[in-house]
Amino acid sequence: MIGQRPPAPRGGLHSAEAADVRKDVFQTPAASARALTKTFGRGEAKVHALRSVDLDLPRGRFTAIMGPSGSGKSTLMHCLAGLDQADSGAVTIAGTDLGSLDDDELTIFRREHIGFVFQSFNLLPMLTASQNILLPFELTGCRIDEAARARAAHLAEALGVANRLAHRPAELSGGQQQRVAIARALLLSPDLLFADEPTGNLDSAAAAGVLHHLRRTAHELGQTVVMVTHDPVAAKYADDVIIMQDARIV
Amino acid sequence: MRTIFLASLRTFGRRYIAAQIAVSASVALIVVIGVLIAGARAGIMAADGAPYRKADYVIRAPKDDPQRRPSCCPGTLNTAAAIDLIARLGENASGLGRVALPLRRQDGAPLRSGNLRDETTVGPIANAKELRWQALVTGRLPAGIGEVVLHVWDANAMNIAIGDRILVGEGPTVAPLEVVGFVESPTTWTQASMYVTWRQYLQWRDHPTFHIGSVAVRGKIGRLPQGMTAYAPEAYVTESLARLNNGTDALALLLLLFVCVALFISIMVVANTFSILFAQRCRDFALLRCVGATKRQVTSSVWREAAVIALVASAAGTLIGVALGYGLIPLVNALAPRTPMGFPRFPAFWLLGASALGLVVTMIASLVPTRRAVQMSPLAAMRPDVPVDIHTAPGRFQLALAVALLVTGLVSLAFAMIEDSKVLMVAGGASVIVTILLIGPLFIPPMVTACGTLLGRYGRLAAANAARNPRRTATTTTALLIGVTMTTAVLTGLATWRTAIDAHRDTRLPIDVALTSLNKPISTTLLTQVRQTAGVEHAIAVNGAVARMTGLDAPIPVLAARNAEQVARDGGRFTKVAPGTIALDLDSFASRGGTLRIRPGSRVTVRVGNRQADLRVVLLSGWGKAGVIAPETLKLLTDSPEPHVIWARGSRGANWLQLVDDLDELADATGGTIEDRLQARAAGNRQLDVLEWSALGLLGISVAIALVGIANTLGLSVLERARENALLRALGLTRKQLRQILAAEALLLSVVATLLGMSIGIVFAWVGFETFVVRALRAATMEVPWISLSVVMLVVALAGLLSSIIPGRQAAAVPPAAGLLLD
Repeated sequence: MIGQRPPAPRGGLHSAEAADVRKDVFQTPAASARALTKTFGRGEAKVHALRSVDLDLPRGRFTAIMGPSGSGKSTLMHCLAGLDQADSGAVTIAGTDLGSLDDDELTIFRREHIGFVFQSFNLLPMLTASQNILLPFELTGCRIDEAARARAAHLAEALGVANRLAHRPAELSGGQQQRVAIARALLLSPDLLFADEPTGNLDSAAAAGVLHHLRRTAHELGQTVVMVTHDPVAAKYADDVIIMQDARIV
Repeated sequence: MRTIFLASLRTFGRRYIAAQIAVSASVALIVVIGVLIAGARAGIMAADGAPYRKADYVIRAPKDDPQRRPSCCPGTLNTAAAIDLIARLGENASGLGRVALPLRRQDGAPLRSGNLRDETTVGPIANAKELRWQALVTGRLPAGIGEVVLHVWDANAMNIAIGDRILVGEGPTVAPLEVVGFVESPTTWTQASMYVTWRQYLQWRDHPTFHIGSVAVRGKIGRLPQGMTAYAPEAYVTESLARLNNGTDALALLLLLFVCVALFISIMVVANTFSILFAQRCRDFALLRCVGATKRQVTSSVWREAAVIALVASAAGTLIGVALGYGLIPLVNALAPRTPMGFPRFPAFWLLGASALGLVVTMIASLVPTRRAVQMSPLAAMRPDVPVDIHTAPGRFQLALAVALLVTGLVSLAFAMIEDSKVLMVAGGASVIVTILLIGPLFIPPMVTACGTLLGRYGRLAAANAARNPRRTATTTTALLIGVTMTTAVLTGLATWRTAIDAHRDTRLPIDVALTSLNKPISTTLLTQVRQTAGVEHAIAVNGAVARMTGLDAPIPVLAARNAEQVARDGGRFTKVAPGTIALDLDSFASRGGTLRIRPGSRVTVRVGNRQADLRVVLLSGWGKAGVIAPETLKLLTDSPEPHVIWARGSRGANWLQLVDDLDELADATGGTIEDRLQARAAGNRQLDVLEWSALGLLGISVAIALVGIANTLGLSVLERARENALLRALGLTRKQLRQILAAEALLLSVVATLLGMSIGIVFAWVGFETFVVRALRAATMEVPWISLSVVMLVVALAGLLSSIIPGRQAAAVPPAAGLLLD
């Protein structure tokens, strides 16, 4: 198994380091895209998902990508997250050009630098909530130590799911599932946290809770958060809003 | 990944049960065969090898011994040298041999039992206790000259009790002996009716049938005299086993083939289970990949899962196999006393081999599904609403491979028929089956759909469900198809072989029982009595005369049969001899008194009273000790032909042994003798029966595995379709109707598999027929056993229906609301 020690956790929600991190907020972007282009299909059925998109995501901010269905916002996120390959253009995250990585390197890069929260099916059904949170750590191939457990417990506490840790996903509410997913995404302190319609399946109260936690993550932890949504209410929680239309940022 | 691996096992372990059953059954099959082979080995040591069990060496004549021996006992030791050797080794040597001697009671009354009249066989008993291989039943063993123990069966048959006195031998070597005990001894070439001490045995050393076949020795031999070789007792057993196997070469091939079929079907069932389960879990895999699991991590986790499944299944299979194998040994002993089996030690090689094979089979079966699961793009997890569809249609590469395999397979089969090559036949058959497996998704689902429309409403729905995942349906069907193909091929092949053998036997053994009365003509009373004996279909008296023939010491009847077709199994063809010739039964004359000196085509003089005829000899077989001549020839020899022989035909299904006994009694009462071919016929039938039933039993296991596969596919599909089934139920489908749809699906799969399997099986049988049977029996024609095949079809269809019960219950148990909410 390919394993490296994960980067040391960068402290808790009220860490003093958070201030240091905020210092270089505008120095280097957390992620940047240059001339990203992607099309699906060919000939008559050819669809442009991205037309030469340039984007810089500043560190420590909560950015929302908005746009109608088919505007290319999901494709943009997939390319930024290293889940999909653009036809041309470059994505750089934490100084690494994603195009230069092969599948295994990209997987390990994702594990160490990017966290995900999806609309649904975020958690493995056969694992408990706490096992799901610790999953990224386990994938590094290291023995789960006290430090990792402490961090997981701390994140669960902060996200309000500490009393649900022994339960399987089927026994959790939708909001609880999403908050467990956020805890998992934060475990290895990624450079970027991507959330793909994280509130799409939730009622408004649960959605507000999840969005509140994402916002806290950015502001108190210095975590860069990118959220794709078509819900204007959700977008209001973000620091910046990027609007996409016809495969372009407008 | 340990947490994931353990959690997966805990969550999905139950869904692997069908795959485990398949693997366990295959492993158990191999273990059973291993135990039975080891049992046969132990049986040989317990029976044939009994005299050598405690010996360190067996001394025999070398196989290429240039010295010629008497025809009765080839390969025996030089008597004088063997006696010297045993004298030198004393207690440590046990001579093994027999002598045939006259036997009377001391008061002169004759002793007779069965075919042995006033004659007995005597063998020696070893001096050392450890080398004795006879088991004492009552009384004691002989301690010196003048004492004898009898085999308990012979004692019963001849009505001898302990304490009786008998006279064995004649002339100067006659010995008065007292019966001191009864023994039992295994059926070996050394088995005799009575046993005496070595010293007593040596008294008959100058008798022509006295011989020492081998010597069992404990400890050191010292210098071995010329013309003798020492073997280890194990080597003797191995050699006997090889001799046994030579006779059953076809059986060994068959066993191997069936094990391969069972393994192949298991691979398919296991692979299908993995495919279905992985399809259901593909989102888990994709999510894992998203959050940073490499392909290698996912693969190794899945492989560990497969390995655990395989280990559990192999262990269970080994246990079941050992229990079954050891349980079968007493059964085989009860059913086939002629091939005694012993209880072997654990055949470690077979046990380990079978377990390893189970592991390998499961791992191979998990290869393709795992590869497919891991190839999934992580993006699939991001689109929760799009049903994940795994690529299932055969690709261009697979199509090309299938066409190539089909062509080579058919060409191999064609060449197999021309060249009579077994290897080409098996290779060709295997290629054709793999072709079906590859392109099954193209033609099996349409067949299922076509059959489904015949079943009406439910059929159409069931067919639509079955055709939805072509690869899965094809694999499930093909597993059963292979089992049915092999069953059909074996049934058809054996039916053809049986018909051919019967026809062949009917010409070789045309008359079932011949009752001969040389001294006086057959009376009409006797003929009536014979006709009224239970089990006699018909009997005729045959006219002729008692004649003397050059080259034969005893008189024989010469017969001219006019109506032999009433009893002869060859339609009386053997009695149609040309004038001027005489047909003789080769076997009858050869079986007693060595070989017949008369050659076919030679001329003999046949004399009846003072008239004689010079006739040309034709050698045929199957009606006993009588010459068959043309009516014209008989007229030359006598003016008043009289019946001297009755020919009888046994009815089908009668107790032939009893029939022969009854007729023997009738013959004895009138001073006649009987010869029968019924026992030979019964033995031949029994052999074919054993072959047929063991083949069917072994294939039954494969078919059962395939049916477990159907139940498995249905059961797992039901889980997948929970939401659709719930929708159907919400729209007004009753529980019963839902179960009926699933039953229809199972029925469709099994019927399509059976139809295809039978068609291919008959083609395979035809190839086998052209390859094997035609070469052995030129006149054979192919025989398709429609009745047996219909039974197979019915059984498989019923079993298919049966396999839908559990999945049907599971599906029906889900309330519509709960089903609709399922993700």
